[in-house]
Amino acid sequence: MASADKLINTDVPEKDVFAFHFLQSLSNLRKQNPFDTPDQKNYRVRKIKKAAYVSMARAAGGSSRLWSRALLRRADKDDNKIVRFSRRKRKVTWKISSKRRRSNQRAPVVEEAAERLRNLVPGGGGMETSKLMEETAHYIKCLSMQVKVMQCLVDGLSPK
Amino acid sequence: MDLTQGFGARSGVVGPVTGLESLNFSDEFRHLVATMPPENTGGSFTALLEMPVTQAMELLHFTDSSSSQARTVTGDIAPTTLHPFGALTFPSNSLLLDRAARFSVIATEHNGNISGETANSLQSNSGANLDRVKAEPAETDSMVENQNQNYSSGKRKEREKKVKSSTNKTKSSVESDKLPYVHVRARRGQATDNHSLAERARREKINARMKLLQELVPGCDKIQGTALVLDEIINHVQSLQRQVEMLSMRLAAVNPRVDFNLDSILASEVSMN
Repeated sequence: MASADKLINTDVPEKDVFAFHFLQSLSNLRKQNPFDTPDQKNYRVRKIKKAAYVSMARAAGGSSRLWSRALLRRADKDDNKIVRFSRRKRKVTWKISSKRRRSNQRAPVVEEAAERLRNLVPGGGGMETSKLMEETAHYIKCLSMQVKVMQCLVDGLSPK
Repeated sequence: MDLTQGFGARSGVVGPVTGLESLNFSDEFRHLVATMPPENTGGSFTALLEMPVTQAMELLHFTDSSSSQARTVTGDIAPTTLHPFGALTFPSNSLLLDRAARFSVIATEHNGNISGETANSLQSNSGANLDRVKAEPAETDSMVENQNQNYSSGKRKEREKKVKSSTNKTKSSVESDKLPYVHVRARRGQATDNHSLAERARREKINARMKLLQELVPGCDKIQGTALVLDEIINHVQSLQRQVEMLSMRLAAVNPRVDFNLDSILASEVSMN
C-alpha cells in the first residue's frame, strides 16, 4: 500500500486471530442454548451474526478502536436495541457553527457522504469527518477479514 | 528612561494580582538596564538589549507568562499593558525574528510547559503555523497575549509567504499526522488568515484519508471525482455487511449438523489455508 499508511495506522491482525475469536464465541453460543431446540431460525441467525460482530470487535483490538468500542457497548445492551448517543448532534453542530464563516460549509459532498458512513460504521456518531474516515478504513479491513473467516468456516462445515 | 516612566504610569492599570509586583518592577527594570548584571537568562537578555527599545518591548510582551509566580523581569510585565504596543510595526528582519523566537524559548524554559512546543515549532518550521498558536496551552490566563501572538504570527506568515513566493513559485503543504500540529505553508496568492488556513489543513487531512480509502476499496482507483469514490466506499461497506449477514445465515443452517469441537475445527481451518 502507499506511504499514507505509515502516517495513519490501520493495521489489522491476521486471519487466525479473527478465526479464534469467532469460533470461541460460537462454541459459547452452543453451550448456552442447544441450537436444536429453538424453532425460529431467525433467532439463531441473529445470535450468530451478533457473535460474529462481537468477536470481530474483540479480535480487531478490543478498545483501541472507536468502532469496536461502540460495537461492544451496543452488544452489552439488549439484543435488538440500537442506542443512539446524543453526543453526536451536539459535537457536530458545534464544530460547524464555529467555523462556518469562511469555508464553503465543509464541502457538502463530503459531509453528506460522511453522514451516510456514520450510519453504517458503528460508533460513527461522535466523530469528525477525518477521524471517521480512519475508522472506516480500519472497519473495512476488519470486515473483509471476518468475511473471509466465515467463508472458510462455511466451506469447511458444509456437507461435501 | 522613558520606558520605566511609561511602566510606572501604567502600573495603575494592573489588576490586584500583579499590583505588588508592578510596584517593584520599575525599580528593578531601571536597575537592570543601568548595570546589566548577568541573570539566569543572561545570554538572552543581552541579546534583547542590543535591539532597539521599541522592538525589545514588544518581545518582552510576547514572553509574558502567568504572573502568579515570582519571575525575572520579563515575566512581571502585566498582560493589560500589551494594548498600547499592539500597533508597533513588527521587525521585518528575519534575524530579529529568529532571535525573538529563540528568546521566547529561553524565557519560557523556566515554565517547562510550552518550551517543548515552541522548541518543536522552531525545529520544524521557522514560520509560525497557526494551528500551533491556537492550540498553545492556556497557561496564561490572558486572552490578549494570545491575540497578540496570533497577530504577530499572522504577520510573520504573510511576510514569510512574500519572501518564500519570491524564491519558489509553487509550494506544497506539508502535513504530518503524527504530530498534534499540522504544518501548512501558505500558497502563492491564497488567503492566509486563520480560518482558511485551518480549513485548508483540514481539507488536506480529509483528502489524504480518502486516498487511503480509495486504495482499500477495489476498483476505486479508476474513478474520478470525490463524490463517486465516496459512493463506492459506502457501497463496499454495505456489501461487506450484507455478506456477513448472508454467511451467518448459512452458518446457522449448517450448525445443527456438526458438533462444535473447537480443536478439530481449528485444525481443519489451518490445514485449509
